[in-house]
Amino acid sequence: MMTFWRLLSLMRPHAGWMVLAVFVSAVATAAHVALMATSGWFITSMALAGLAGLSMNYFTPAAMIRGFSILRTAGRYAERLVGHEATLRFVARLRAWLFGRIERAAPASLEGISAGDLLTRLRVDIDRMELAFLRIVAPILAGMLVILPVLIWLAISQPLVAFVLGALLACAGMGVPIVLLAIHRRDAAIAAEATADLNSASVEAIEGQAELAIYDPEGLHRKSLIGHSDRLLAAEDRLARGQAFGNAAIPLFAHLGVVILLVIGIPAVQAGGLPPAELPMLLLMTVALFDAVAGWPLAVQSVPVVLASARRVFGIADREQAVPEPAQPEPVFAPLTLHFSNMCFRYPGAAGEGLRDLDLVLKPGQRIAILGASGSGKSTLAALALRFLAPQHGALVLNGHDYRQLSGEHLRKHIALLAQNDHIFSGTIRGNLLFADPDASDVALEQACRTAQILPLIESLPEGFDTWVGAHGRALSGGEARRLLLARTLLRRPAILILDEPTEGLDAETESAVMVAVLADHPEASLLLLTHRLAGLAEMDEIFRLEAGQLVAISKHSLAIPEGPRHSRAD
Amino acid sequence: MASSSPQALDFLKRWRPRARKPLTRAMIAGGISGIMIVGQAWLLAMILHRVLVEKQALDTVLGLIVLLALTVLARILASYIAERSGFAAALAILPKLRSALLEKVDRVGPVGLSTRPTGEVVSALAEGVRGVEPFFSRYLPATAQAAMLPLGILAVVAPLDWISGLAFLITAPLIPFFMVLIGKGAEALNQRQWLKLQRMSGHFLDAMQGLATIKAFNAGPRMQQAVAEAADSYRLETMRVLRIAFLSALTLEFFATVSIAIIAVLIGFRLLWGEMSYQHGLFILLLAPEFYLPLRAMGTAYHARMEALGAAERLAALETMPELARPDEMPASMTGPLLRHAPALTIEDVHLAYPGERTGLTGITLAVAAGECVAIAGPSGAGKSSLFSLLMGFVMPDSGAIRIDGQALETIPLAALRRSIAYIPQQPTLFTGTVASNIALGDGNPDADRVRRAAEQARIDQRIAGLPKGFSTVIGASGHALSGGEAQRIGLARAFYRNAPLVLLDEPTAHLDPETEALIHGSIRALKPGRTLLIIAHRGETRALADRTIWLDAGRVGLAPADASA
Repeated sequence: MMTFWRLLSLMRPHAGWMVLAVFVSAVATAAHVALMATSGWFITSMALAGLAGLSMNYFTPAAMIRGFSILRTAGRYAERLVGHEATLRFVARLRAWLFGRIERAAPASLEGISAGDLLTRLRVDIDRMELAFLRIVAPILAGMLVILPVLIWLAISQPLVAFVLGALLACAGMGVPIVLLAIHRRDAAIAAEATADLNSASVEAIEGQAELAIYDPEGLHRKSLIGHSDRLLAAEDRLARGQAFGNAAIPLFAHLGVVILLVIGIPAVQAGGLPPAELPMLLLMTVALFDAVAGWPLAVQSVPVVLASARRVFGIADREQAVPEPAQPEPVFAPLTLHFSNMCFRYPGAAGEGLRDLDLVLKPGQRIAILGASGSGKSTLAALALRFLAPQHGALVLNGHDYRQLSGEHLRKHIALLAQNDHIFSGTIRGNLLFADPDASDVALEQACRTAQILPLIESLPEGFDTWVGAHGRALSGGEARRLLLARTLLRRPAILILDEPTEGLDAETESAVMVAVLADHPEASLLLLTHRLAGLAEMDEIFRLEAGQLVAISKHSLAIPEGPRHSRAD
Repeated sequence: MASSSPQALDFLKRWRPRARKPLTRAMIAGGISGIMIVGQAWLLAMILHRVLVEKQALDTVLGLIVLLALTVLARILASYIAERSGFAAALAILPKLRSALLEKVDRVGPVGLSTRPTGEVVSALAEGVRGVEPFFSRYLPATAQAAMLPLGILAVVAPLDWISGLAFLITAPLIPFFMVLIGKGAEALNQRQWLKLQRMSGHFLDAMQGLATIKAFNAGPRMQQAVAEAADSYRLETMRVLRIAFLSALTLEFFATVSIAIIAVLIGFRLLWGEMSYQHGLFILLLAPEFYLPLRAMGTAYHARMEALGAAERLAALETMPELARPDEMPASMTGPLLRHAPALTIEDVHLAYPGERTGLTGITLAVAAGECVAIAGPSGAGKSSLFSLLMGFVMPDSGAIRIDGQALETIPLAALRRSIAYIPQQPTLFTGTVASNIALGDGNPDADRVRRAAEQARIDQRIAGLPKGFSTVIGASGHALSGGEAQRIGLARAFYRNAPLVLLDEPTAHLDPETEALIHGSIRALKPGRTLLIIAHRGETRALADRTIWLDAGRVGLAPADASA
C-alpha cells in the first residue's frame, strides 16, 4: 500500500493532465450510458404515443440522442489521447528521475546488480509503472464518476433497483476479479518463475550450444528447457482460464441485471410507480452502465504487476550513496596534496584482508607507483581516491580537508582516473573524448591522443575522429581501446592523475612510448600509477608494493627495471 | 517490428492447420453465442412488448423471463468456450513450434549461430514463440466472429425493417475499409517509433554499463539531461503514432454510435406513425450495438495480429538461416565412445568457405600423432576455430579429408565422435545447476567421487570447498558468481570428468592473472598423459606446454613468426 501511495505521489506533477484524462473518460462513458438510456426511453415513448394517437415533443430527445452520440465518439478519442499524454509525460519524467538516482548511487552502491538488470528497471519496470495510471487509477476513477451519480439518482426514486444494480456492478467489476486474482496468485508466480527459467535456459542453450553438443548427447539440458516451457504454458493456460472467466463475468452480470430488473420493474410499472417508458430506459442503461466497469478486471489484475515493478524501481532509487555528500562542502583548489591517512577498507562480506592501515601521501607533482597482482586492492585504492567508497577506519585527506567534507563532484574536477573497466560509449571517437570535457578544443583532443599514442591510428581512419566506436561501431582492439580511454582521461588535464594498468594490452614498445609521453605532457600533475608491469617505473619518485593489504616501500634498484623496451612482469 | 512481411504471414499460416480442431470449436461456439445474442434480444423485446403494450402482468411473462435468463447463460457459456478454444489452439501449436525451432538451431550449429547476436536468437526462442500466440488465440477466432455475427444479424433485421438493414449494410463495410486505411499509416509510423525505442534502449544500456565512467567524469547531470530528452522525444514520437492509431478507433466509434443514433431516431418516428410494431423496433435497437461489437473487437484483434507478425518475422528469419552443422544421421544408435585411446589425426588439403565474407580454411594439411599435445597459433581469422569446428562437426568441409586413427571423419557416427571429445572454449558456459552437475555435464547420475577427482585435477577443489554448499552450490546466471578463471577451471574439470581421449582447448588463459594462469597450466599438464590435445594458444607460456606449435595463416599451415619464442 505504501508503495502505491508513493507511486501516486510521484504522479503529482502531472495531476492536471491526469484529472483531465479521468474527466474526459467519464464524460465519454456517461454519454454512452445517456445515449442508450435516452434511446430506450425515446422509442418506447414514441411507440406508446403512436398507439394512443397522441402527439409528443420528439425534437428534444432526438437532438439529445444525436448530441450524446457525437459526445461519446469525440470523448472516446479525447480520452485515449489525453490519457496517453498524461502517462507518457509521467513516464518520461520517471525515467530521468530513476536515471539520476541510479547515477547517484553508482558505482559502489550498485555492486552486484548487472547493467542488464538496471536496464530492465529503467525500461520495462518504468513502462509497467505507466500502467498505474492508464490501467488502474484512470478506469476506476472514471467508472466511479459515472456510476455513483447514476446510483444516487436512482436511489432517490428506486432504492431497490439502485441497490441491486450497485451490487451487480461491484461483483462484476471488483468482486470476481479480486477472487480470481487470489485464486491465480500461485499460477502467476509459477508463470513468472518459469519465464525466467526458460529465458536463462534458452541463453545457455545458445551460448553453450557447442558444449552441450559435445557433453550432453542425451539432451538432458534440452529436456529441462522443454520442461520449463511446458510448465510455463500450463500456468498460462490456467491464467487464461481465469481471464476467460473474468471476461464472461461482466456480460453475465449485466444481462442477469436485466432479468432481475424485469422482475422488479414489471410490477412497479403495473402499480404505476414506474412510468412505462422508464422500464426500457432502465434496462438499456443497466447494460450500458457495465461499460463503466469494463476496465476494472484488468485494473485489478495489474495491481500486483505494477506494484512489483514499483518495488524494484524504488529498491534501486533508495540505495544510499556509499559516501554521503556534505551539506556545505569545503572548496577544492589545486595544488593538491592527497593523504591516505591510516586507512582501512574492506568490501562488506568479502573474503581476504582488504586494505589495512594504509598510509600514503601524494604531494603536488609527485609520482608514485603501486605494484601488485590483480585482486591486491589497487583498483579499490583508485575508487577510494575518487570518493566512490569510504574507508571504514582512517580517512582520505585532501589539502587538510577530510573527504567527507568535500563534494565528490568538486573533487573529481581535479582528480581523473583511467580505470580498468572504463567504458567506451557507443558513439564517435570525438563523442567519447568529449565525454571527459564537453568544451575541449580540437587541438586539445589531438594533443591528448598524441600523448596516448593513438593519434596516428585515428588519423588513418577514413572518418578520423568521427568514426563510430563502442557497441554499435567499429570494434577497437584491446590495446587501441586502452589508448583511446587513456586519451580521454588525459583530456581532463587533472591535478592528480590516477592510472590503473594504463598499458594493459599494449606491446612493450608502445607501452614505454605511452609512459614517456604521459610524463612529458603532464609535468606538473601528481601521478598515482597502479600496475603490475615495470614500464615507466624508472621515472617514479617512490615505488610501493601492495601486499596483503599493506604498502611496502621498495627501492628502484631491487627491481629489474628494463632499460630498453622489453616485455616483463613485476612478480 | 510490426510490418506485415509475407514471410511472417506465411510462417503463421503454415502452422495454422495444426490447430484446426480447437479453431473449429472456437468458431462453432462463437456462432452459438451469436444465435443466443439474437434470441436474447428477441425475448427481451417480446417481454417488454407484452408488458408495456399489451399490459400483461408479471406472471404471464414469467416463463419468458426464465427463458431469457437461460439464453443469457447459454450465450455467456458459449463465448467462454470460444475464448478457451482460442487459447487451446495456441496450446496445440506452441510446444511443437518451440521444438521445431530448437531442432533448427541444432542444424544451424554454433558456427552458423555465431553470425547473430545471442540475444536475438534467444528472444526468438523465448519471446518470439510466445509472441505468435495472439494470432491463434485471438486474431483467428475474432476474424471468424467478425465475419459471421454481423451477417447473421443483418439477415435477421433486414426482413423486419429494410431501412435499418440498409443502415447496417452501408456502415459495416466502411468500418474495416477505414480501419485498414488508417492501420497502414499507423504501421509505418509504428515501425519508425520501434526503431527509436530500440535506439533509446541501446542508449540506456550503454549508460548503465558506463555508470562508473559517467560518475568519474562528473557527466551524470549531462547524461540525465540526455535521458530526459530521449524519453521526451520518445513521448512526442509515440503520441504522433497514437494520434493516427486512435483514428481507426474513432472511425469505428463514429459509425457505430451514429448509426445506432440514426436507427433509434428512425425507428422512433415509425413507431409514432404506427408503421412498425414496438417489439420489432426494440429488437432492432437492442441488436444494433451487437452488430458493431465484433467489428470493434477486430480493432484489438488486428493489433494482436501485428504483434504476432512482428514475432513471426523473427522466427521466419531464424528459419532461413543456413544449416552449417553436420546432420545427426543416426541418433543414439551408438552409445559408447568410439575412441578408447588417444587418437592420431590427419587433415589433408581441407577447404572450408563460409557464407558471407568470413574466411575459413584454404587447403590445410597437418598431422597429429596419437597422444601428442599440439599448440595451434596464428592471427585471428587464420582458421584455428574453424579447425575445431570441423573436428566437432559444427561445420562440414567443402573438400579434403579428415581422418581420425585413419578412419574418415564422415564415416564416424556423429554421436560417437562427439562422445570421444572434451572441448573447453575460451569462456566455458556455466549452466544453471550445482557445481557437481556442471562438472558432470550431460550425466544424469553424476558419480560424486569422479566429480571430486576431476575438480582436484582441475585445481578448483579448494575454491569449491570455499563455496557456501560445496559441490551442491548452485552456479550459473542466477546462482553463485564465479570468476573467468574459475569458470575456465570448471571447464577443465569437465574434460577430466568426461575422460575423453581427444581434448580441444581454446585459448585457456586469455585475460587471466599470473597466479590463475599458473594453476591452469598445471591442470593442462595433468590432462596430457594418454590423450591427444589440441590447444589454441596465443601466449608463449601456453605454447610452452605443447610438444610443438603449428602456425596457421589465412586458412592454411604457415611459418612461425620471427619473434615467436615458443
